[in-house]
Amino acid sequence: MKTYTTTTAMRTALGLFVTTILLFPVYWIFATSLKGDAELARTIPSLFPLHPDWQTYVTYVFKNPDIAHYLWNSLQIGVGTMVLSLVLGVPMAYGLARQPIKGKRLILMFLLVMQMFPSIMLATPLFVFFSNLHMINNLAAVILATTTRTLPFGVLVLRPFFLALPNSLEDAAAVDGANPWIAFVRVILPLARSGVITVAALIFLLGWSEFLFSLTLLSDESKRPLTLGLYKFITNYGTNWNGLMAVAVVAAVPVLLVFIFAQRYITSGLAFGAVNE
Amino acid sequence: MRALTPYSFIIPALLFLGIFLIYPMFTNLLYSVERVDVGGLLTGVTPFVGLQNYQHVLGDPQFRSSVIILLIFTATCVTFQFIIGFLLALLFKDRFPLSGPMRGVLMVPWLLPMVVSGTIFKWMLQLQNGLFNYVLLSAHLIHQPIAWLDDPHIALAGPIIANIWIGIPFNMALLLAGLQSISPSLYEAASVDGANLWHQFWRITVPMMRSQILAVLVLGIILTSNVFDLIYIMTGGGPVNATTTVPIYAYQSSFVFYDLGSGAAATVLLFIVLVIIASIYIALLNREEVRS
Repeated sequence: MKTYTTTTAMRTALGLFVTTILLFPVYWIFATSLKGDAELARTIPSLFPLHPDWQTYVTYVFKNPDIAHYLWNSLQIGVGTMVLSLVLGVPMAYGLARQPIKGKRLILMFLLVMQMFPSIMLATPLFVFFSNLHMINNLAAVILATTTRTLPFGVLVLRPFFLALPNSLEDAAAVDGANPWIAFVRVILPLARSGVITVAALIFLLGWSEFLFSLTLLSDESKRPLTLGLYKFITNYGTNWNGLMAVAVVAAVPVLLVFIFAQRYITSGLAFGAVNE
Repeated sequence: MRALTPYSFIIPALLFLGIFLIYPMFTNLLYSVERVDVGGLLTGVTPFVGLQNYQHVLGDPQFRSSVIILLIFTATCVTFQFIIGFLLALLFKDRFPLSGPMRGVLMVPWLLPMVVSGTIFKWMLQLQNGLFNYVLLSAHLIHQPIAWLDDPHIALAGPIIANIWIGIPFNMALLLAGLQSISPSLYEAASVDGANLWHQFWRITVPMMRSQILAVLVLGIILTSNVFDLIYIMTGGGPVNATTTVPIYAYQSSFVFYDLGSGAAATVLLFIVLVIIASIYIALLNREEVRS
């Protein structure tokens, strides 16, 4: 019994060690954002900010007039991509899991191949496409472009959740004379709730993190999201790393929020989706 | 009418993908055999030039070097992500105190926006005051600070390190799910027969996980080959194109030099290679299915 506890303790110690190292960069963003200029210039970097200085947040985030519209644009892209992907993707995932549809295997293969497209391959034609529609500098163009990437992903991750539900659900609803859509919305959807939350959270983060389509489809600075704002600051602020890190913290906040509230769903959901493909 | 209802679940999504994905893909293919520049875009006149764009791209030393850089980038990233991810999956396979929360927070690097990850690594890899140089100098592993992102001979290492960091959680999560699907009775039987852990790993774990390992590697190759944001943010493809991979090359062709035809040709070439890799994967998977 003694050897058992020693190995367990060793595993915990090793686990803590690895986790600390791998998460250190995330901590380092935050630590750097709180350091003053003098402290940053020290030859020996301090592990903890010696005099935590929130001034960087005031200067580079709160008093920075650009941050508000960057955030607002990011939020619109994130929510827009999430809503559009779910409206189209949830019924598709359900249909491919539980409805008598011909060529299912072919459609699934098609979705898998869709995921392989390099985004840059779509960037050029979509730029021309949206130029012709006079939709350059329109956030809707970015939302539509990003959904081409998130929709196949969402369907593939979500389908196993529907497959896992018992077969008798639709039969019971059909006996009651319900239309398949009504059965889907009233019976199936509530049961697949955890899957839908997982996918919704992940797609929101993908939209929030989007970079390439915003770079190519939005040239007006006031229309651009925070990801591009952060990139611009790298070039503009040069070596003001504390200010840059304060903005990076703001860009990372949704990830941490989603993570805190949906972690349970995300880790199990991802593994679930991946294994069942 | 009733027979059509099942299709109503998938038709809206298929229509969307047809308009915003398939149609642009098709026009991209078309651009790759046309001369598409700023004037052409304004007037709508894009003459057919046959395979000229492909000849131009394949003959461009810049493109050839971007292929080699992409191969180095992808091979190094996938190898390290896979090995480290596998080791972590083995560590976290059995529950131990705090294993759940640790597995959870280890996903954070994968979920962070690439711009954020790129910025933090750019800062840690700075010549002056960068954490990497500080740690390596303190450990006496190097004697001079390294200009990680500014020295063309070593610049690719920066995006590689950052991308390995981003990819580890993904590899770990998928491999962990595979490990946990192996029945513990197999290991019990093996240890009764006197097989040690090393033998158990090669005789049970690896063969049982063959399809997951294959999936993780193929997905890793595809995702890594497509990386754009991270490199664009950390180095922009420089210094002197030392980190210009095929996606960066295609971006520059289309959006910096406005030679959209060549940009399109470069992405089509990349896509063909990825399709070949994926086809090999699917063929192997089918063979596995037949075998089992």
